Amino acid sequence: MTGKEILFAALRNGLTPRPAWVPFVGVHGGRLVGVKASEYLRSADRMVEGLTQAVARYRPDGLPVMFDLQLEAEAMGCGLAWADETPPAVKTHPLEGGGSLAALPPFDLGAGRLPLAFEVTRRMKAQVGAEVGLYGLICGPFTLAMHLMGNDLFMQMYDHPDYVKAVVGYCASIGCKMAQAYLEAGADVVAVVDPMTSQISPEHFVEFVTPYVDQIFGAVRERGRFSSLFVCGDASRNLSEMARTACDNLSIDENIPLGLLRDTSRTTGKSFGGNLKLTAVLLFGDEDDSRLDAIRCIDVAGSAGFILAPGCDLPYGVPPQNLEAVAEMVHDGYRREVCKRTIIVKQAAAAVCDLPERYDALAHVQVDVITLDSASCAPCQYMMDAVHRAVAATGGPVVVKEHRIATREGLAAMQRLGVRNLPTICIDGEVAFVSLIPDLRTLVARLEAAVSRKGAQR
Amino acid sequence: MPDFDVLKVAMKGGKVADVRRLVEGLLAEGVAAQEILNNGLLEAMGEVGQRFKRNEVFVPEVLVAARAMKAGTELLKPHLIQAGVQAVATAVMGTVKGDLHDIGKNLVIMMLEGAGFAVVDAGVDVAPEKFVALAQEHNAKIVGLSALLTTTMPSMKGVVEAIRTAGVPAKVMIGGAPVTQAYCDAIGADGYSPDAASAAELAKSLIA
Repeated sequence: MTGKEILFAALRNGLTPRPAWVPFVGVHGGRLVGVKASEYLRSADRMVEGLTQAVARYRPDGLPVMFDLQLEAEAMGCGLAWADETPPAVKTHPLEGGGSLAALPPFDLGAGRLPLAFEVTRRMKAQVGAEVGLYGLICGPFTLAMHLMGNDLFMQMYDHPDYVKAVVGYCASIGCKMAQAYLEAGADVVAVVDPMTSQISPEHFVEFVTPYVDQIFGAVRERGRFSSLFVCGDASRNLSEMARTACDNLSIDENIPLGLLRDTSRTTGKSFGGNLKLTAVLLFGDEDDSRLDAIRCIDVAGSAGFILAPGCDLPYGVPPQNLEAVAEMVHDGYRREVCKRTIIVKQAAAAVCDLPERYDALAHVQVDVITLDSASCAPCQYMMDAVHRAVAATGGPVVVKEHRIATREGLAAMQRLGVRNLPTICIDGEVAFVSLIPDLRTLVARLEAAVSRKGAQR
Repeated sequence: MPDFDVLKVAMKGGKVADVRRLVEGLLAEGVAAQEILNNGLLEAMGEVGQRFKRNEVFVPEVLVAARAMKAGTELLKPHLIQAGVQAVATAVMGTVKGDLHDIGKNLVIMMLEGAGFAVVDAGVDVAPEKFVALAQEHNAKIVGLSALLTTTMPSMKGVVEAIRTAGVPAKVMIGGAPVTQAYCDAIGADGYSPDAASAAELAKSLIA
C-alpha cells in the first residue's frame, strides 16, 4: 500500500497496516527552507519548496498545502499583522460593532493570497500527488465569523442570534467555494479548521456550528472526497456533537484524551487523529520524547481509522529531527517495539521516582499501580477503580499511588518495580497483578494479608 | 436580610435590564451598596467563574454575565465612592509583545473585576516598558501577562526582568494556552494560572 492508500484506508475508518501520518506542516515549512513565516506564506515557490522538504524528511502519508486560517479573512477585508515565526493574526474586523454583510466585498477566489493556496495544491499534486494525500484547509465558518466580527461574536450570540447565524451561514458559503476550488486543484481531503468552537457550549455548537460545517462536508462528500473537522483547544465537551457532524474524520489536539476521542469517534463510525503534543514534546522535547509520544498515541489509538498528527499547526521552530523520529516510529514497527523498551530504560534511569526506599520501613501497606494514564486508558481506569474499592473494603492502613508512564516519574517507577506490562498492581514493592483486573475478593484478601504481615513485623 | 438570590440568578443569566432594576430596588430599600456588590454581584461572578473552571459554562456565558455585572456596578459606583469603598488592589493586564489574541486576557480582567480588583487594561502587543510604566503609574500590586502563541510566550521573560529591574513591587502572574507552571518557574514569575477563574484566586493569594 502507498502512504496515500494507507491514509485513505484510515479516513474510511478501516484497518491499516501501520498508522497513517500527517504532520501539519504550515509555517514550519518556512524553517525547513530558512525563511520567515511572513515570506513563506506569501510565496507559492517557498511553500512548494518547504512541502517538498517535508515529504523527503518526514515521509508523510498526507500533508496540508497551506495552514493559514487567515486566508479567507484577508480576502474579506480583515487587516493582518505579520510575524516572523507564526501565521499572521487578524487585527481589524470589518463587522465589528455590527456591520451589514452587504457591506463586505464579494468573496473572490482570486483575492488576497487565495490563489497561492490553489497553485501550491496543483504543483504539489503534480509532484507527489500519487503517493501523498493533500489536505486543503478551510477556516471554519464560526472562526471566520469571529475574524469578521471580532470578540463581539460571543455577546451577539445572546443579543442577536439571527445576525450571528447569517454571518456564520455566509462564512459557510465561502467555505463551500473554497472546498470546491481546493478539490478542483487536486486536494484529496478538505479539512474545516474551526478552533474557536472549543469556546462554546454543546448547545451553541449545535445551533451555531453543526448546520454550517455540514454544508461544507456535504459538498465535499458529493464530490466523493474526504472531509475532516479540526478543533484545537479543550473541546472535550463538544466532542459528541463534533462526532455527529457529517465529516469523515475528527482531529484534535493534546487537550483531549486520545482514548476519549477514539471511543467518541467510533460511536458514529468516524476516523480520528491528532493528539501529538505540540509544545511540551515536539517543540521543547527531544527525539526520544517525540518517539515516546508517538508510541503513546499509536498504542492508545489502535489500528483502525487512526491518523497520527500533531494537535494543530506545527510551531515554526520544531526541531526537524523530532518529526523525523516520529516518522521512524510510524514506518518501522520493529524500531517502535525496540524504542518502547530502550527509551523507557534510558529515561527512567535519569528520572526520580516517587517510591519509598524501603517498603518494610513503612507503617502502612503501599499499593503502586503502574498505568498508561487512568484518565485516558480504560483498563487502567478500571484497575484503579478496583484498587480503590478493595482498599475501602480492607481493614488497616493502605496507601495507593498511581504512576503514569506518560510521566518520567512513572517510567522510573515502572523500571524500579520491574513492571513489564500495563496496567500492573504492586503491593509493597512486589508485582501482584499484571494486566488482569482482579476480582474484589481476591484483591481484598491480598491486601489484608499484606496488612497482617506489616502488623507482624512491628 | 435582603434577598440577593434573584439578583444573582439574573446576573448569572446575563440579564442586564433585570440586574439594573433589581440593584435599583435594593438601593431604594436602603441596602448598602457594598453589601449588594459583595453578596450579590461579586458572589454571582465568583460562581460563574467556578462553573467556567469546571467546563460547565463557556466564554459567551461568562461575557454576558460580566456585562450584567458591569451594569450593576455602574449603578453602585457613586454610592461606593461616597462610602469610601476601595478596590482590593489594582492589576495591570495585557498580552505580551507580538501577541494580538485578547480573549483570554479579557476573561481574566472580568474575573479580576468580579473579585473586586481595579484593572488597568494595557491592551494587546504590550512592550515590557509599557507594563512597567503602567504598574508604576497605578501603583499596581499585580501585573498579568497573557500569551496565546508559543512564539510570543518568551516575551514574558523580558517583562518579568523589566519589572524586577525597575524595582516595581508588583507580583507578576502569567497565563495562556502554551504557558505552564514549569515555564512560570523557569522565568521567575510569581504565579501561573491555567484558567480565568483560577487567575482571580491566584491574584488574591499573591497579594494576601
